[in-house]
Amino acid sequence: MNTTRRDFLTRTIGTSALLSLAPSIPQFLSGAAVEAADSKRSGDNVLVVVQLAGGNDGINTVVPYGDAEYKKNRFTLALDKSQLLKIDDYVGLHPSMRGFSKLLEAGRLSILQGIGYPNPDRSHFTSMDIWHTAQLEPTRRIEGWLGRYLDAGVKRDGRDVPCLHLGSERQPLAVLARDVRVPSVRSLENFKLDDGGDSRLARAVGEAAGAPRAEGNELLGFLERSTVSALASSKQVHEALKRYDTSINYPGSNLAQQLKLVAQLIDAGMSTRIYYLSLDGFDTHADQGEAHAALLTELSGAVGAFIDDLAAHGHADRVMLMSFSEFGRRVKENASRGTDHGAAAPMFLAGGKVKPGLIGKHPSLTDLDDGDLKYHTDFRRVYASVLQEWLGCDSAAILGGKFDPMPLLGKKA
Amino acid sequence: MAADLNTVDPAWAWRPFEPAADRPWNQPLAAHLYRRAGFGGSGEDLRKAVERGLPATLDALLQAAPAAQEFDTRIEQLASTLLGSNDPRRLSAWWLYRMIGTPAPCLEKTTLFWHGHFATSAAKVEDSEMMLAQYRLLHQHAFGKFGPLVQGISRDPAMLEWLDSTTNRKVHPNENYAREVMELFCLGVGNYTERDIQQVARAFTGWELRRGKFEFNPYQHDTGTKTILGQSGKYNGDQAIEIILAQPAAPRFIARKLFRYFVCDEPAPSPELIEPLAKQLRAGDFEIGPVIRTILGSNLFFSTHAIARKVRSPVEVGVGLLRALEATTNVYKLADGLDQLGQAVFYPPNVKGWDGGRTWINSSTLLGRANLVRTLLSAPETRFAEGRGLAAVAQRAGIEFSQPGGPERAVDWLAELLLAVPLATAVREPLVALAREPMEDPNRRLARLVHAVCALPEFQLV
Repeated sequence: MNTTRRDFLTRTIGTSALLSLAPSIPQFLSGAAVEAADSKRSGDNVLVVVQLAGGNDGINTVVPYGDAEYKKNRFTLALDKSQLLKIDDYVGLHPSMRGFSKLLEAGRLSILQGIGYPNPDRSHFTSMDIWHTAQLEPTRRIEGWLGRYLDAGVKRDGRDVPCLHLGSERQPLAVLARDVRVPSVRSLENFKLDDGGDSRLARAVGEAAGAPRAEGNELLGFLERSTVSALASSKQVHEALKRYDTSINYPGSNLAQQLKLVAQLIDAGMSTRIYYLSLDGFDTHADQGEAHAALLTELSGAVGAFIDDLAAHGHADRVMLMSFSEFGRRVKENASRGTDHGAAAPMFLAGGKVKPGLIGKHPSLTDLDDGDLKYHTDFRRVYASVLQEWLGCDSAAILGGKFDPMPLLGKKA
Repeated sequence: MAADLNTVDPAWAWRPFEPAADRPWNQPLAAHLYRRAGFGGSGEDLRKAVERGLPATLDALLQAAPAAQEFDTRIEQLASTLLGSNDPRRLSAWWLYRMIGTPAPCLEKTTLFWHGHFATSAAKVEDSEMMLAQYRLLHQHAFGKFGPLVQGISRDPAMLEWLDSTTNRKVHPNENYAREVMELFCLGVGNYTERDIQQVARAFTGWELRRGKFEFNPYQHDTGTKTILGQSGKYNGDQAIEIILAQPAAPRFIARKLFRYFVCDEPAPSPELIEPLAKQLRAGDFEIGPVIRTILGSNLFFSTHAIARKVRSPVEVGVGLLRALEATTNVYKLADGLDQLGQAVFYPPNVKGWDGGRTWINSSTLLGRANLVRTLLSAPETRFAEGRGLAAVAQRAGIEFSQPGGPERAVDWLAELLLAVPLATAVREPLVALAREPMEDPNRRLARLVHAVCALPEFQLV
C-alpha cells in the first residue's frame, strides 16, 4: 500500500520534488511513525523578512532634520527636531520608533540609507514585484529571490519546512519556488483540520487527498499537493509549539503577535530558515501624520520585542530581521497632507550580528530625480550580502547577476 | 497541456457550442455553466436547465426574469434598513444573502466581477450608504455599456473617497485617480505614459466630494489644453475617459479580464484568442452582456480548456455550497468565514481587487475552507430545504442510505452536484467507506459526507 503511494508521488511529482516534499509526506503515506520534534537547536542562521507594503515614507522615518530643505518641503508633515529620536546631527528617528531607538543603542539595528534601483517604478505592483524577484526585466519575474534560494537546495533536516509565510494575505512572490512549497500560516486555529474529534473522518480525508488521480489537470495536481502538504505541515507546527516561556511583553498588534509566533518556532528548534511577514498600509496619499505614526509604532514595537525575546532565549546571534518597502515617497508633500509614490528609501536590519548604526549617506534633498530621492545603493547588493554572508550561498546564480555584497555584519556570522 | 489553450482556433473557440449525440447538453455541463455564470445550481436548477436546453438556459441567466423583480424589491428594502447602523460589515452579509437567494445569479456574479475590478474597500470608505450606492451603480451597469460605468464610477463618492480624490485642485492635480483609471480600470500597464497620467489628472481637476456627494467645482478646474494619449484639447474628466476607452488597448484589457473570470485561471490567453471578444466589445459600443453571453455559450467554454480550470473562490465555496444544497444560514457568520479565507466582499485587499487563481490557496486557507464547510454544516442556523433537512434534499434526488447501494449513490450524487471533475476510483473508495458507516441521524450522516467531499482538492476546482 505504502509502496504504491510512494511510487505514485514519484511518478507524478518527480524525484527531486519528492525530496523537497519529503519533510511533508504525512504519516499515512510514508508509513513511518511521526517523530516528535526534538528540542535540539539548529545551528543555521534565520532570516525574518518584514515587508512594509504601500511605500513607506523614508523621509519621515529616518528624518533628515539637519537639512533646511526638510521643513521647506514638508509644510504640514515636518517633524520637529525636538520630537525626534536623534541618531546623529543630521538624522533622527520618527518619535514613534522607540523600539528601534533602543535596538540602535544596544547595537542591534542597522539603518541602510539611499536604497533603490535604476529607473524606479512607481507602481505598487511593479515595484513590489521587482523587490520580490530582484529582476528589473519583467519577463524574468517568475520566481521569487527567496524561492530561488529554496530551490537551490537549502539544508533541511528532513522534518521542518524551510520557509514559512505568516499572514492571511496571498503568498508573496518573494517565496514562490518551483519545487518547494511554502506554507502560509495565519493563525494556529486555521492551521489545523477541524474534524470535531471524528478521527475516521480525518483519516478518510487524508486518504482521499493523497490518493492517485489521473494526470492532465495541472490545477488539480497543484491543489492535491497543496492539500497533502497543508495536512502535514499542520502536524509539524502544532508539535513544535508544546511549551514556550517568555518574560517579554509583546504589544497586542498583529505584527507583534506574528513575530512572537516566529520567536516560539525558532526556540522550538524548527530548522526553518526563512520567515516572511508583511505590514500593510503605508500608501499614505492623504492625512499621513497619524496613520504613519501608528504604523511605525506597530513596526518598531513588534521588532523591538522580538529581538529582545530572541536575545533572552539566546537566539539573537543567529537571527537577522530585514525590513524594506517597495519604494519611498516624494520629497515634497502633496495637497492632501500626504505624500505620493517616490523612489529611494531606507532599509532596516535587526539582530545580534548586524553592523549597528547608519550605513550609507542620506540622499540629497535637492539633487532629485523628478522630485524623488536618488538611490546610491542597489537593493540587490543588500540581497547579495544576505544570501552570501548570512544564508551562506552563491548570490549570483539566485539574483541572475553579480552584485557587490556590502559588509552587513558587525561580527563574523 | 498548458500550451494547448493558445493553439485553439479563435474562430472555433467563440462559436456557439452545439450539443450533439457525442457531447450532449447534460447535468455535468449545466452544472459547469451554473458554477461559472452564477454560484452553482441546485439539483432542481440543473434538472430544469437540462430540460430547457442550452440557448434557453443562457437566455434565462442573462436576462431579468419576473421572479427577480419581486426578489429585488424585497432585498433592496432590506438593504435600506441596514443603512441605519452604518456598519458596512452588515452590507457584506446582505450581499451574500442576495447571492444565495437571487433568481438572477449571473447578474450578481458579474456585479462581483466589477466589484473586484473597481476594488473599493469599506475599510477606508467606512460609510454604508456610499458603499451601497457604488454597489447599485455596478449592479445597474453590470451587463450594460462600459463607458457610462466608468463615467459613473469617476463620480462615485465611495471611489473618490477610496482613491483620496475627494479634492483635485488646479494647482496640485491629484494623480492617484488618473493613474488607477488607466492602469487598473481601462488600459493596463504599458499603455500610457507618466505624462499621460499628469495630463489626465489635470482633466479631472475640480471633481470633488462634498458632504458625501459628487460636485464639480469650476474654480478648481484646469481649463487649459491637455495632451492625452496623443490627442490635444481642453478636456474634462468625461472627455478624458472617452479618449482612454477609444484606445485599442481598452477592449482587449476588459476582454482579458472577462476571460479570466469566466473561462480559466491559466494560462493567459493569447492576443489572437482575445481579439474576437475585443472586437465584439468595440462593435457593440463596449456593451458587456453580449460578450458574456458569447463566452458562456462558446465551444471553448464547454471544452476541457475551461471545465475545472479555475480555482474556487471563497464566495464560491460558501455561496456555492449553500445554493447547491438549497440551504440558508447566518450570513454574518458566513461573511466572517469568507473573510478568513481571503474574500470579504466590500473589503477587497487592495486596489487590484482579488487576484484569484492559485493565490486563493495556501495551507491556512485550504484547511480553512474545510473548516468553514464544517462550521456551515453544523451551525444551528443553517437550514436545508426550508427546514426539511439535508436528508430531504437527498431524498428528492432519490438518495437514501437505507436502500441498497444508498451510500454509493450518496457519494456519486454529491460528487455530481458539487465537483467539477469526476472522482477517481482511489479517491471515491475512502468516501464510500465513510458513507457506509451507520449513523442514527441521516442528516448528520450526510453532512459528514458533504464535509469530506468539500475537503477534497477536487472541491477547490470550479
